[in-house]
Amino acid sequence: MSHDETLAGITEVLGAVASINPSDVTPEKTLAELGLDSMTTLEVVVAAEDRFGLLIPDDESARFRTVGDLVHYIEQAAVPVP
Amino acid sequence: MVATDLRVAIIGAGIGGLSLVLALRERGLTAEVYEQAPELTEIGAAIALSANATREYARLGLLDELTAASTIPTELIYRQWRDGSRIAAHPVHNDNTYVSRFGAPYLGIHRADLQKSLSGAFGVKNVHLGCRLVNIIEDNNSVVVEFANGRVEHADIVVGADGVRSTVRRWVTGADDAVYSGTSAFRGIVPTDNLPSLPDPHAIQFWMGPDAHLLHYAIGGNGELVNFFAVVDTPRIWMHDSTVADVHEDVPVASFRGWHPAVTEMIRAAESPIRWGLFTVRPLLRWYRGRVVILGDAAHGMLPHHGQGANTSIEDAFALAAFLTESGRGDLETAFSRYQTMRRARTRKIQRSSLVTSSLLHLPDGPAALARNQKVARVPQDFGWIHEYDVQRALAALTPPVAARPGD
Repeated sequence: MSHDETLAGITEVLGAVASINPSDVTPEKTLAELGLDSMTTLEVVVAAEDRFGLLIPDDESARFRTVGDLVHYIEQAAVPVP
Repeated sequence: MVATDLRVAIIGAGIGGLSLVLALRERGLTAEVYEQAPELTEIGAAIALSANATREYARLGLLDELTAASTIPTELIYRQWRDGSRIAAHPVHNDNTYVSRFGAPYLGIHRADLQKSLSGAFGVKNVHLGCRLVNIIEDNNSVVVEFANGRVEHADIVVGADGVRSTVRRWVTGADDAVYSGTSAFRGIVPTDNLPSLPDPHAIQFWMGPDAHLLHYAIGGNGELVNFFAVVDTPRIWMHDSTVADVHEDVPVASFRGWHPAVTEMIRAAESPIRWGLFTVRPLLRWYRGRVVILGDAAHGMLPHHGQGANTSIEDAFALAAFLTESGRGDLETAFSRYQTMRRARTRKIQRSSLVTSSLLHLPDGPAALARNQKVARVPQDFGWIHEYDVQRALAALTPPVAARPGD
């Protein structure tokens, strides 16, 4: 999966879970700027897990500050499905 | 209805398993329940049912019977461990606050009374006791469950409602995903009359101190008993195969030395010195495999500090029943996947929040405890989202929606 595909997937999740307009989503945006509190962030993380088929530990997700942090975590954690 | 011939085998006759039978029956489905215990009793255990669960029982017409066996707390009170001073208090039954806000009551009830009401509601003939699951064999068209007593049953789907150390989960994930939390509990049920030092005996109260807390609430139709749950930050490592372990009779009392007399009286009055290891289930990516699916503690075992273990199992049961009614014997993969997506998001939030609460309840006296005291003053605002949840509304809000109530 390419970087752009991962970002597009996250953008989709943010729209579905938190009703965030796709045009507002950039890698530099902080989750706080998008209006996400810690509980909504957790909803986004769980939906991203479903979308990408991997688990994101709670202590990792607590460190996510920007959209790019989430994208980066998914990229390094994703293992191609056989 | 297409689904009425779906054969459902439920492993575990706890609150989640029994609630699933009722939820399925409401939608025209039947199920068989297999329980390893020889009888449906759990000594020394009560639970608090919150509105997110009692609104489901209310719709089924069970509320009068449950209320008759329950005590509704007057208030939710937080107290200082040593001098017992009130840190914060929030009305529950007083001024009808809780029901007016959440639309259903908060009930303290003995687990045996709840199980009796639930199993009585569908007749006990579908509950098979003394059946310990030893094997699951699946083929393309059905699944076979084998029990230690030699019994063999066929079903279309198997639901694992068999608790935090679930056997069914091991079949689904291939691993033991239960994790010891580093905290354990002493619990007991004491006649209210034997607790002369206890202020507000009919309130639900948290006594918070360094490395420990005690929670209690009244149960029984007239608040005649007090159920308590005392949590300590020991042992660091759980060495036992079972989740419960005998301890020397001095250990519970020694763990709360120096606490307010109401606390020590309660712990001293408990009948048997048993330590309950508190286990959670690490977040799982999949709650099903083939024709086998899990619910309740088996799927998302959590720390009990929001009192939501049983309540979220009840939510799971009513959600799963709705998805199964839609799929029938057809597209189980879609039904299970939608169930998992909906319930994983909800329960993960409560699981995380309970974990954070655990350490907040155990702070030493000092600045952190003072900051925590500000927080507990906002509990009704901060945790209303747990209690206001309505599983039928959540189902109707999905894309595509799932029929909120039978017949809608």
